[in-house]
Amino acid sequence: MALEKTGLQVDEAALIRAAQQGDRDAFEQLVRVYDQSVLRLAMNLLRSPEDARDAYQEAFLRVYRNLGNFRFDCSFHTWLYRIVTNLCLDQIRKRKVRKEEAAVLATGEGPLDRMDMVAEQRADTDPERSLFSGQLRRRIKDVLEDLTPRERMVFELRHYQGLRLRRIGEILGTSEEAAKNCLFRATQKMRAALGDFV
Amino acid sequence: MNNNAMTCAQARGQFWLLQYGELSFEEEERVETHLDGCAECRAARERSKELHAGFDSLAVEPAASLLRECRANLTARLDLEPLPGLKRRSPRAHGGWWEQFIEALTSGFVLRPAGAVALLALGFVGARLAPSIGPLATAAIDEAGMSRVRDVQAASDGQIHIIVDETRQRTVSGTPGDPQIQTLLLNAARDPNDPGLREESLVLLNKQAQPTEVRDALVYALRHDENAGVRLKAIEGLKGFAKEPEVRGALSEALLGDANPGVRMRAIDLLAADSGGGVDRQIIGTLQELMSRENNAYLRQRSQRILETLNASTEIY
Repeated sequence: MALEKTGLQVDEAALIRAAQQGDRDAFEQLVRVYDQSVLRLAMNLLRSPEDARDAYQEAFLRVYRNLGNFRFDCSFHTWLYRIVTNLCLDQIRKRKVRKEEAAVLATGEGPLDRMDMVAEQRADTDPERSLFSGQLRRRIKDVLEDLTPRERMVFELRHYQGLRLRRIGEILGTSEEAAKNCLFRATQKMRAALGDFV
Repeated sequence: MNNNAMTCAQARGQFWLLQYGELSFEEEERVETHLDGCAECRAARERSKELHAGFDSLAVEPAASLLRECRANLTARLDLEPLPGLKRRSPRAHGGWWEQFIEALTSGFVLRPAGAVALLALGFVGARLAPSIGPLATAAIDEAGMSRVRDVQAASDGQIHIIVDETRQRTVSGTPGDPQIQTLLLNAARDPNDPGLREESLVLLNKQAQPTEVRDALVYALRHDENAGVRLKAIEGLKGFAKEPEVRGALSEALLGDANPGVRMRAIDLLAADSGGGVDRQIIGTLQELMSRENNAYLRQRSQRILETLNASTEIY
């Protein structure tokens, strides 16, 4: 659980109950426990800092508005991720419909990937390494865009968020088996597209 | 012929799920059995691992500034949110007794005239009795190390501003060399609640002359921080200490055990840096061990090249 990861000696259920009783500080503590992983998920899925920021705000506002209805039927983490993934899925689907190049900005010096403007941890000053990661990056980006929104989501949750398929099934409102099939399809597509790369 | 045997295509189709540990016991057994008898698939499995690692290196970690911006926007938005069930922030967080007092005096129509009189009286008496408050309440700062640092910022004039949560929030300012500032930064660098704060604090600590405490904080962050961005900043700050045995130990641990390829890449760069006397030969054992366990193609190449430069074998005998 995320609370254990942060090393906090905090009872999450107590925080939730306090927030449900109207304790705003308790709510903000809950936000702080989970918000970095929420932002990371949105950023990786939406590939745009602006969209990730919007998803972050909307997700926590929905949590705030509906926390009174949370009945501990599932973990808070699952409930929160259900909200975030729904928001991101909606956004990805809209993009697919619009066929927009959301991740690319037109600049005076040609197209620029928005994610290249993000201060992420990239360890590249070595030309050889840059070439390798650059080629792979482009190919992976293309492949990820070819996945269906649901495949993209399952892959993201499994690969980058490290969630088990059972939890992914809970978040997406489906079975572990269905999540596994979805991940299998996604990996088959990526294998077919990238198999010759390495 | 084993009816349960897999074809090469079937086995290769399962490599990613195998990598994720998401195959059932039986499925995994079938794949492993196939791999035992098929050299081509074993080679394909290695390539699959490399590709898998390639995806790892593309993980995006949100910038600390973006996280901070999101939090600020959310807080502002929540203040506007009229919600049943959830009340406004508790009075303490709004500033303590003074705000409660003002709110009490001004919240009711009937009480407003009385409140205005009370405020006038308080102002008159207070101006004569209250001690003068300088730009910084020095006595209170001594207790600030016990408080929670909420944010750190570097100003263009070289000063560092630190926002501290005590009974109320305020800004503590000082130069990078100010012991008070350093103490607060070191505390903030270990705040378990906020990776963005930890990262920013390490960046600021890295910019100044580094005493032992700072080095220890950086080593601690590299070894224990769960956030890859913070660990990367820690490595950056350790450049000046790269010759020290404890630091090299921490870097070697990161190279062999950190889950983030970016951290491993920075670690090998720093360990293999030639500081004038050539590359430290004590790195050989670490690199040989790395060759036996690393899946990342770049790291393997880099390690191999360094070992060749040192005329060392790439294998452990």
